[in-house]
Amino acid sequence: MKILIVGGGKALYFLCRTFLAKGHEVTVINRDPGECVRIARALRVTVVRGDGTDPAILEQAGAYAAETVVALTPNDQDNLAICQVCRVQYDVPRAVALALDPDNAAVFQKLGVEAFSITPVIATLIEQRTQLDDITNLIPAGEGKVNITELVLPPAAPVIDKPLREVSLPPDSLIAVVLREGAALVPRGNTFLRAGDRIVLISLPANHGETIKAITGDTL
Amino acid sequence: MKGSELFVVIVGCGRLGCHVASQLSRAGHGVVVIDCDEDAFNQLAPEFSGFRVEGDATELAILRQAKTDRADLVIATTSDDNVNLMVAQVARTVFLVPRVLARVFEPRREGIYRRLGIETVCPTSLAAGLFLKTILGDAVGDVA
Amino acid sequence: MKTASVLIVDDEKNVRLTLVQALETLGLDCDTAINGEEALVKLAQRPFGLILLDLKMPGMDGIEVLRRLRHARPDIRVLIITAHGTIDSAVEAMKLGAVDFIQKPFAPKEIRALVTKVLDRDTLQAARAEGYHSHVELAKKAIAERQFEAAQEHIRQAIAADSTKPEAFNLLGVLCEINDDKLEAHKNYRAALALDPTYRPADQNLRRATGVTLREDIDLGDAPEPPEGRE
Repeated sequence: MKILIVGGGKALYFLCRTFLAKGHEVTVINRDPGECVRIARALRVTVVRGDGTDPAILEQAGAYAAETVVALTPNDQDNLAICQVCRVQYDVPRAVALALDPDNAAVFQKLGVEAFSITPVIATLIEQRTQLDDITNLIPAGEGKVNITELVLPPAAPVIDKPLREVSLPPDSLIAVVLREGAALVPRGNTFLRAGDRIVLISLPANHGETIKAITGDTL
Repeated sequence: MKGSELFVVIVGCGRLGCHVASQLSRAGHGVVVIDCDEDAFNQLAPEFSGFRVEGDATELAILRQAKTDRADLVIATTSDDNVNLMVAQVARTVFLVPRVLARVFEPRREGIYRRLGIETVCPTSLAAGLFLKTILGDAVGDVA
Repeated sequence: MKTASVLIVDDEKNVRLTLVQALETLGLDCDTAINGEEALVKLAQRPFGLILLDLKMPGMDGIEVLRRLRHARPDIRVLIITAHGTIDSAVEAMKLGAVDFIQKPFAPKEIRALVTKVLDRDTLQAARAEGYHSHVELAKKAIAERQFEAAQEHIRQAIAADSTKPEAFNLLGVLCEINDDKLEAHKNYRAALALDPTYRPADQNLRRATGVTLREDIDLGDAPEPPEGRE
């Protein structure tokens, strides 16, 4: 596949390397002369120096023959322009734009440009790990009919320091696995849970909140 | 004048944006000017009665803050053709603004804007046309 | 509509100009003041029916003007002008008796419509008399029927009637989310929780809206009962 990429930096470098490894033909457009030289030396790609939003530069870079264009500049408006020029003027079959403002991902789609945004991915990753005392909703399993959650037992959890058989959990919930000091154990009636244990909990959505509360002692 | 005034959002408070904003304001229209540099607003006429929003108009939140959804007209006059193109499209497609105008400096881009349905004003082409007409006389006609 | 004299209080010249231009076409007699002190002087001299009051001014701010007004002129209607994203001050102003607020920037049509509505309400008492809970219920119904303008109006009336309860702010947050204004939505949910930390619908909505998923539904809140206690 003939791929045209506009952008620079490490993101561009590693993307090109990935495409090349898969056997695609890559052309890069970049504004900075120094960077153009570096890219040309490091990778087996064609490099065109210039403004990737300029139709003349895109033409020079072979937009007519490109099958995919990827717009990876740091500016949403430039990425949109690149993709639209390629689609409208050069009939490039597929144009993909990076949208740094997550709101713009939906806007670009509306304007006929495929878009992706990395901000929401990072934000969700951080939030899921640090909020609610390390409760992570792992996978919606069984078509959303089951919740599988990983959480760390806080010091004041009501379920610790007694045998599991004496712990009362809401019906339809189960502590499936306990991860402690790098080892995984499947708990039994005589297992004592400890503060700091990472447990994998299976519950139904209807009683999930109740179950979390019973285990952590937190009012959410 | 009741009800006949427009609510206009102008993106980019450079020489052109400020001038248009001041004139529209003087004519009694409601105006909001957006610019990412707050110093740019100093160029507005002293009697400018509109609002200023400091921010990057390629961020949806900024256009929302400026109440673009209520605009009768959006004018994109930043110094960057691509910003103007994006703002114009967002105004039309997301905020359903009835009329949108964008300035384009680079004549090569005019055709594409037109294909995307954006009304444009290209100072370069206009000026070139006027110059040539002056130099070569009416025989040359208008430069497309 | 009753003709009234309107006092416009704002330190920014452009806002004063915009408001005078917009309201004079309604046949209203407008006067302006550039700060709180001047406003109070003018209020003592003339029987204004309506004030448009900017909250953030140098020197005496809008909240202080409101406080003093409450004793001197409790019958005067106050419309608050706020800058983008300053809901906390707007809430405080409503508590001090403001009947409504509008965020800058605004279109001339917007402010005219709001002023007309405010002046059309026969008495200040009537505006508040319908009761907090009925407005909350009407707002919920309006949201369910996708009548978002009506919902917004009911929410505002609810807040004006009782700004110490969380339900209306929760609904305001829902409306913001529907309008894709996530930042404002979060602020409203937080405002609801600030008023009542045990109000679960706002808590659920905030968690859902900020991406921490436990449940998926937008929570409009329960049927109007005295606030349920958590154990």
